[in-house]
Amino acid sequence: MNIYELTQEYEIYLRDESRSIGHAASISFPENEAEMREIIMQMNAGGTPVTIQGGRTGLAAGAVPYGGHVMNLSKMDQLLDVTAEDGRYSFTVRPGMVLANLRKIIAGRKIDPEKMRSGPDAALAFINDREYFFPTDPTETSATIGGIAACNASGARSYKFGAARNHITRIRMILADGRIADIRRGEVFASGRRLVLPLTDGSSISAEIPSYQMPACKNASGYYARHDMDAVDLLIGSDGTLGAISEIGIELLPLPAYIWGVSCFLQDEDRAVRLTNALRDGFRNLAAIEYFDKGALDILREQKRKNTAFSALPALKKEYSCCIYAEIQEEDESAALQTLLQIGKCLTACGGREEDTWVARSDTDRETQQFFRHAVPESVNMLIDERKKTDPSITKLAGDMAVPDEHLAEVMHMYRETLAAAGLQSAVWGHMGNNHLHVNILPRDSRDYSLGKQLIAGWAEKVTAMGGAVSAEHGVGKLKRDFLAIMYGSARIEEMAALKKAFDPKGIFGRGNLFAAEVMVPSAGREAVPAGERETEAAE
Amino acid sequence: MKIVVCVKAVPSSTEVRFDPVSHTIIRDGKQAVINPFDAAALECALRIRETAGAHVTTLSMGIPDTVRILRDTVARGADEAVLLSDRAFAGSDTLATSYALACAVRKTGVPDLLICGKMAVDGDTAQIGPELAAALGIPAVTNVKEILSVGEDRIGVIRESDDGEQEVSVCLPALITVVKSIVDPRMPSIAGIRAAEAAAVSVWTAEEIGADPERTGLAGSATQVVRTFSPERKKECVYIEGSAVEQADRLRALVEELS
Repeated sequence: MNIYELTQEYEIYLRDESRSIGHAASISFPENEAEMREIIMQMNAGGTPVTIQGGRTGLAAGAVPYGGHVMNLSKMDQLLDVTAEDGRYSFTVRPGMVLANLRKIIAGRKIDPEKMRSGPDAALAFINDREYFFPTDPTETSATIGGIAACNASGARSYKFGAARNHITRIRMILADGRIADIRRGEVFASGRRLVLPLTDGSSISAEIPSYQMPACKNASGYYARHDMDAVDLLIGSDGTLGAISEIGIELLPLPAYIWGVSCFLQDEDRAVRLTNALRDGFRNLAAIEYFDKGALDILREQKRKNTAFSALPALKKEYSCCIYAEIQEEDESAALQTLLQIGKCLTACGGREEDTWVARSDTDRETQQFFRHAVPESVNMLIDERKKTDPSITKLAGDMAVPDEHLAEVMHMYRETLAAAGLQSAVWGHMGNNHLHVNILPRDSRDYSLGKQLIAGWAEKVTAMGGAVSAEHGVGKLKRDFLAIMYGSARIEEMAALKKAFDPKGIFGRGNLFAAEVMVPSAGREAVPAGERETEAAE
Repeated sequence: MKIVVCVKAVPSSTEVRFDPVSHTIIRDGKQAVINPFDAAALECALRIRETAGAHVTTLSMGIPDTVRILRDTVARGADEAVLLSDRAFAGSDTLATSYALACAVRKTGVPDLLICGKMAVDGDTAQIGPELAAALGIPAVTNVKEILSVGEDRIGVIRESDDGEQEVSVCLPALITVVKSIVDPRMPSIAGIRAAEAAAVSVWTAEEIGADPERTGLAGSATQVVRTFSPERKKECVYIEGSAVEQADRLRALVEELS
């Protein structure tokens, strides 16, 4: 068991993709569950906070430590097992398995059947079967499956397949005192809001599920809470606050024979909303409906002009100010063609032109489409990095909120009007089909930065009033916990803290995620958080 | 101006997977795709048409399902497409293939310009373009990386050579083969796909193009594929230790052993 002092050599482990910087005293890179458990028990004995890390690709600072110990799981990246049940395959992976690597293993069948825990039969059947895929598809493919489970990540295809939760069949989690929960979907349920979670040593944990009603839209805000819920759903999306995941079971789906992407260009946002509604109403075989606004397209136009790395981007006609991308998935080519042609008619009805669409039916064309879609966030990050050179205090500010279907036009107008009133530069993209937009504010100076933060806090209130979620896929982490308080109120936050306390009485895991450490202590007579581990804000 | 672009259907993946028990190739059932070099060739033709005006025909030889690839070229902008498909063509090597393509080209009259991809990603021979030009008796410029000018009777290009680059001006009719990076192929539009679905793709037999049976298919092939296999790759690593002189001596001995 190696625990290292967190010296300058390990500084990168104080950060994640949110660009927040934390602090910690020590770090470890366990290679197996026994090592994880030993370290956790040691930290728990001393009341030392433990922040679990995967690929550090999170955007809400969930993996940024607020003191104590960092447990980085990047060395725990093995495929442990392949099983087959009812014609479906499941993989058991360690939490540090990187999504890109998982995809390579699945697509290339890079599996040694003899090394599978339950024997070679299912792995051999998988190798010889049709193609399968893991539908959760966040843009950042260096994310780990553990991180994906911890924040219930999703991606573009969540429009059809839902978030990661829908495809996770089992979680094995080490609790603070070293006991282990090993929960398979469909085996343990809450009774109303009361959950008795059996542990592998025969003991159990009793906890009250928070009493709030979750929003009726895409949601990654706080603990999953529902009457009679499956226990595995509580562990998924718990933002590293209940324990450390040591194994994850994921279910694969058959890869559709035909996956076609189509980019439709429009002259204004209202038409894009109309097209989105038409696609949602008229088609049942779309896996994704994505959006890119004028700010995003203008940044791409500029990149193509100035930066040779982006010269391969297809040219964007200047009369278009936004783009809707839809992905068709079908088993039958003629059905895919009919859907495509129908989308063309919908586009024409919304004022677009079939001639100015991009259709990707081959891997090469799909790569071009993907390059275009991924170039947007990449370009925005480059632009902000450039601005940071003159004002290091600024960073990108991004919303990750979703609302129910009926509020799509309303929320789009809210974003547009408030951004215009504040005079802020922005780029908006994301999952329009789920009414889930990543509204990125691009501050030019500290004044813009401050204004932007106020604006996003205001959006959190309005989105909550629309019955929406303040975080739809990035998780709450540390950066959005104030929004979580807006969404659920302080009483419900205390219920979350009470739930955490049942799992993690000393509050060592993911300190500062979801709520401040102080919330763990009952309102009357709150104890002091142990010296040296009092939470301090991460520097952004 | 008339332009003919030769295209080939190739497997969608270059990665061959083997069953770990039976050691047989696993067929993933994926459909063939247009050879990426030929997609670049088509894009070159379409850009010439946009600036100088042209009629672009795509031409392929293959099984009947290759119509799907040719329809895709129409979706991307080709004016018409022709497929050579006949059992008589089975087993053709590059010589027999270029002969058949030449017969098809002559049937409609030699165009001003033929554009081929430099090579196909499955065979990697890079022979079809030059052989087709030879069969038609027109000049060929291979490995073109940039088209500088297109006139009524000449085309100016830059080609990659072993020593660097060459600027070449050649009289028309001529054939050029293009490298993949010459242009980024456009994606088809919904309108293009709608038009392609309604378009007729001509399918010609060996008899219809007047091909000599002795020069087509296996009979007309100078070479034959005897066996297809994945090359065995062996990696060995030898660590050389000691002083610089000792390491140099050991390295020399190793090189001598290998050679």
